[in-house]
Amino acid sequence: MSNIATFLRGSHPRLRTSLRPALITTLSAVIVPLCLFSVFLMMAGVAPLDAFRAMLQSSLGSSYGIGEVLVRAAPFALTALATAIPARAGLLNVGAEGQLVVGALGAAAASALLKDIGIVGLPVLILAGIIGGAAWAGLAAVLRTKLQLNETISTLLLNYVAYLLVAHILQGPLRDPASFNWPFSPPIPDGMRFPVLFDSRVHLGLLIAPVAAIIFALALWRTYWGLNLRVTGGNPQAARRAGIDVAKTYLTVMLIAGAMAGLAGVLQVVGVEGRLRPSTGVGFGYSGFLAAWMVSHHPLWLLGSSLLLAAIVVSGDALQITSGLPSSTVGILTALVLLGVLARGHSQGVRL
Amino acid sequence: MLPIIIAVLSGAIRSGTAVLFACLGEIIAERAGVVNLGTEGCMLIGALGAFAATAMTGNPFLGAFVGGLCGASLAAVHAYVAVIRRGNQLASGLAITILGLGVTSFFGRSFVATQINGMNSISIAGLSDLPILGPILFQHDALTYLAAFLAPGIWFVLYRTRWGLMLRATGERQDVVYSVGLSPTLIRCLAVICGGFLAGLGGAQLSVAYTLNWVENMTQGRGYVAVALVIFSSWSPLTAVAGSYLFGGALSLQLALQARGVGASPFLMSAIPYLVTLAVLVLVGRRRRQAMPDELRAVFERGG
Repeated sequence: MSNIATFLRGSHPRLRTSLRPALITTLSAVIVPLCLFSVFLMMAGVAPLDAFRAMLQSSLGSSYGIGEVLVRAAPFALTALATAIPARAGLLNVGAEGQLVVGALGAAAASALLKDIGIVGLPVLILAGIIGGAAWAGLAAVLRTKLQLNETISTLLLNYVAYLLVAHILQGPLRDPASFNWPFSPPIPDGMRFPVLFDSRVHLGLLIAPVAAIIFALALWRTYWGLNLRVTGGNPQAARRAGIDVAKTYLTVMLIAGAMAGLAGVLQVVGVEGRLRPSTGVGFGYSGFLAAWMVSHHPLWLLGSSLLLAAIVVSGDALQITSGLPSSTVGILTALVLLGVLARGHSQGVRL
Repeated sequence: MLPIIIAVLSGAIRSGTAVLFACLGEIIAERAGVVNLGTEGCMLIGALGAFAATAMTGNPFLGAFVGGLCGASLAAVHAYVAVIRRGNQLASGLAITILGLGVTSFFGRSFVATQINGMNSISIAGLSDLPILGPILFQHDALTYLAAFLAPGIWFVLYRTRWGLMLRATGERQDVVYSVGLSPTLIRCLAVICGGFLAGLGGAQLSVAYTLNWVENMTQGRGYVAVALVIFSSWSPLTAVAGSYLFGGALSLQLALQARGVGASPFLMSAIPYLVTLAVLVLVGRRRRQAMPDELRAVFERGG
């Protein structure tokens, strides 16, 4: 019964508690982390206000900065979807990191096999990325549904296997002979890459992220499939009794999640970098995880949180140049923001 | 052949110790009903804290203690968010790990090329001269011995003392704890902080007794492996020893094989310990999960 009660409470906004306390807790979830981060900056001998101004200017203060934020936000939104979609069904996928690199590997390998066949090659690369990501997530899904191995643990461990697999393939079969022993894949021919806009790094592939988010939002709230998914996430036992094939739902959401993360890999390899490197997409999966949790796995709001995280990461690169801090420093800020959001305390479950 | 086997087995114990500390800590936390995926972050911050303190004071034992404190303070953040504020445990744990990664790369830069005098191995009179067994079991650093003794110690506390009973009751059915007038929230917080201290010690063993250097993200998922091995060990500190040394064995075996040029690729060989962890979980997992503390089921098993 209590599950039905939470279901109702979650899906009817007017039944929720008034907005004001919610606003205060949300604000404190942003302000407290900013204050704590200022302490870190001061410890490093950097004036926080100057640093924040530099961060704002570098990310949102120029058209170049805004373009860079968009280029980052799209893969973050896709890895956020890779977290949010299984979360809606009650699974915790922490493997977007590994699924992204295997998807990127798929795209790079397909490009190396195809040679240059022009723009018709692009859909093939996208498909290869989707298959790579979905296969890696499918592994964890099968371990969960057939062997009852918790997906959180398997996806975390498979991330490390994925990095090592990609490192191995980049040293061997997929290494560009012209790269002077660097472990890079051969460059993807320009004709097979996403068309670029306004002479920047902004490319058409970025549109995949909002489109995917909107499709997921519609599927979640307007289809029978989405209802099944929400019921499974709310109470798997009840779902089973209602005749829903829970194992199949788990498998589907994980495959879709892997596909999303794989697409993020495609955006990096085919869109931004033009080749696969060992560093491609590292950390993007965890950023997406943060973005999804910040908005309780809301399919559309996660576009906003991805933009916010992307702005923080891009400004982190600027911080490295102007203040000499390592770019991973902003990881402190993003983790603190998520902890602030979690500390608002939404019980253990995922809101419907 | 024999010297190689001895080296691998001795290496298994030395390289499994960091995971054993973390695993024991995680058992304490999970027995109280809290999963801490931040174990990875606690190990990392413990490794840096211990390394930095050793580099400054020259005393690796003080360093290890500082490492433990660092792990405990990071775990305290998890206790606040996940236990007191009731945020999602798994997400909070991962956020803790990301925080630990950020903090250690922030403060760790100045220690990257630093050299320290780490812990020496202590030979136990009489025992370390034994053939075969001596070098395998009795020529290790102090923290390795400590971990091995801690396992039965924690078992004793958990199963033979009132404290342990209350801790386990918190993880099985918290109403019982309320009914005797104790606070499950307080017990959980203490358990998580204790677990963080042990994870920090594990990180310390890694940096001041095993590798003797600091590298960014040097734990490489050992904290996650520890959380996985807790399931393998069915939440028992004694079985955790076997699980951790098994992981250590996979690590040291692949290093020994790499050193002899066996194996297709160093990268694929490095993946073996993770795959071994997954494999043992699959093999024993189904049976062992019955031992899972009841309060954890809501976190781990959402009915699946």
